[in-house]
Amino acid sequence: MYAYTTADREDLFQEIVIQLWKAYPKFRGESKFSTWLYRVALNTAITGLRKKKNFIESRELAELPDGITEENQKREEQLGQLYKAIEQLNQVEKAIVMLYMEERTYEEMEEILGISQGNLRVKMNRIKDKLRQLAKNN
Amino acid sequence: MELDDLKQTWKETTIKKNKNTDIMDIMKHKSYGPIAALKREFRKQIVVMALLPLFLLITTIDDISKIYTNVLFWSYVAFCVGMIVFASVNYRIVEKMEIMDVSVRSNLQQQIDLLETRLKWKLIGLRIILLFFIILVEVVPYFQHYRMLDKWHSLSPFIRFGAYAAFLILQYFLSRIVSDRKFGGHIKYLKELMKEMQ
Repeated sequence: MYAYTTADREDLFQEIVIQLWKAYPKFRGESKFSTWLYRVALNTAITGLRKKKNFIESRELAELPDGITEENQKREEQLGQLYKAIEQLNQVEKAIVMLYMEERTYEEMEEILGISQGNLRVKMNRIKDKLRQLAKNN
Repeated sequence: MELDDLKQTWKETTIKKNKNTDIMDIMKHKSYGPIAALKREFRKQIVVMALLPLFLLITTIDDISKIYTNVLFWSYVAFCVGMIVFASVNYRIVEKMEIMDVSVRSNLQQQIDLLETRLKWKLIGLRIILLFFIILVEVVPYFQHYRMLDKWHSLSPFIRFGAYAAFLILQYFLSRIVSDRKFGGHIKYLKELMKEMQ
């Protein structure tokens, strides 16, 4: 979602590992470990890679489950459209989508991102509409 | 296709293992982003400010005895020490931001506040220091470095003060341009992110 090439993904992964490594000794356990983990990862993804904002659009389709055959080509295409639409979301919207995919509750999302649950629900609905529109246009 | 349909695929997605698992090697990876940029900037400042007086000392090694009583040199050393302390304090503040005991939004807010405050202090501080050095250059030759009285001070006060004014104006604009280039981009980007979080 935040990186579109293998190299970018590796860079982001390494960046997150560095941040986790540096921050872990100071983790005070005031929140759940997973919440803290998401905070560090998303904060790194949102703010850490701005130098690469103007990346070359050499997007690889995210790894799809094994066993994708020609029969599923249409589904793959649709998925591709959806991923492309997600790419066009802003950094915060991407973070919300990511947490939604990870099946985090709105309460957890609020704890991670610091956006109120009400606001998150509104944003989620808007994101879904936006994605529908973007996928249609792509 | 809806976002909910993607959820299933997302769950089934196999994550490619990263080739590099050596943490020490990963640590060598250059970090980007506002926090990393700030830390780099403050680190650079500490090193440069520590090296400058040393450089001055080395270049005047032939006449080292004079340096011990040189008011301008010691003022410069005091300025460098002050800058090192300021940069060290800043570095520690920035380090605290990596703890992430707060939400992403609060952390962003902290980053913006910190960047803006530091920037303001730095600009004001540099102006005051430049003014202080100008006063020093004007005053010191009357009780030390008498040779300057025959050189710089022999020029008309209009030329001297005109040069100081030009220097102050140049510093005003240059420091703004430099800090905008170094921090301004980060601030703008973080403010945009904060707006997206509203």
